Amino acid sequence: MCKYRIDHDLERLRIQRRRGIEPARDHPEPEDDRALVRRAQQGEREAFATLVRRHQDRAFNLAYQMVRHREDALDVAQEAFARAYTSLPSFKGDATFGTWLHRIVVNLAIDSLRRRRRGGETPYDDWRGLPEEPDGELTAPDDPGMALEAKQTRALLARGIAELPPAQRAALILREVEGLSYEEIARAVGCSPGTVMSRLFYGRRRLRQVLKARLADLR
Amino acid sequence: MHWLHTTGRRGRRLAAYAAGDLSGPERARAESALAGCPGCRHEVEAYRLVARALRATPRVSLTAAEAQAFWPEVERRIAAGERPRRLPARPALREMLWDHRRLGLASAAAAAVLVVGLTLGQMSGWLHRGSVPSNGVEVVSVEPGGDAPVMLFQAPGSSLKVIWIFEERPSVWEVIR
Repeated sequence: MCKYRIDHDLERLRIQRRRGIEPARDHPEPEDDRALVRRAQQGEREAFATLVRRHQDRAFNLAYQMVRHREDALDVAQEAFARAYTSLPSFKGDATFGTWLHRIVVNLAIDSLRRRRRGGETPYDDWRGLPEEPDGELTAPDDPGMALEAKQTRALLARGIAELPPAQRAALILREVEGLSYEEIARAVGCSPGTVMSRLFYGRRRLRQVLKARLADLR
Repeated sequence: MHWLHTTGRRGRRLAAYAAGDLSGPERARAESALAGCPGCRHEVEAYRLVARALRATPRVSLTAAEAQAFWPEVERRIAAGERPRRLPARPALREMLWDHRRLGLASAAAAAVLVVGLTLGQMSGWLHRGSVPSNGVEVVSVEPGGDAPVMLFQAPGSSLKVIWIFEERPSVWEVIR
């Protein structure tokens, strides 16, 4: 792995800054989270409620990026917190509460996707309902033409993501959207960093194929 | 041959470089290699666009109503406690094979060899060594019996004997062929 080693903190901060995410270590304060976890472990329900309120939006966004279905994402995020509460006695604090929660959310989202696939449902059924608000380098709110192109690219991308196996989707979202390092992703999804690298590669390659026509237009 | 064209790893290196995942010497090596490889630069640009598109994915927030109802619902689920837990869906075989293709192929080959070996070994043991190891039943005698071999089985401690008459069949190898 040394060949692909990155400066995880800097890389994570860089991606998060670009995406306008407040770094997890600044908000909420890890110390506060740890203290809250300790109190929750001692049975203080209100301490856990505070943790939930702090992390619910981020957990929901992660779940949504994975399942692309608002109701399912809400269900996954709420279930993740419920499971986190029942598993609190086993939480040793080796990772931050946020990273630990990521793992639960991702696993539940993967389960949800697999269930839907086995049930014959479209796994990514509201990709057309992507949020409209511009955010990021591909959008150009002042230029309607570019904004349309960005929207079309996002729609293509969403369709490509819909075709990815859940594990590849999880790796890509955790890396590119959440800004996690390979090691953090490995911990979150329970595999080796090498497997993360492999999943990222196949996922990126698939998306590159999906965006091929778009790329030709943009060149 | 170009460094980035190393078979099997080329794509990974390009994708990792484009996404900013390479560091130090690897990054420098990639950059110097890219300088003389227009095709590689083309691919890197494609991967960069994918990364930019992914990073530009809009974040989704809870509505005010959803945010307000969030904790009460979590609390309800906690209180329910014994809520029916759905078993986690196992990864599809396709996904597992995708992640571990070499391991999957090796395992399948090993399993096939094991099954064939055990089958042949067991059949050979029945016919030539005169015992069946799996259930404790012993072969008392084997009579070639011309065209139809006859085997006499008896369980230890039992007076009951079982006679098997084997009709002539093609050999195992003939069947496999």
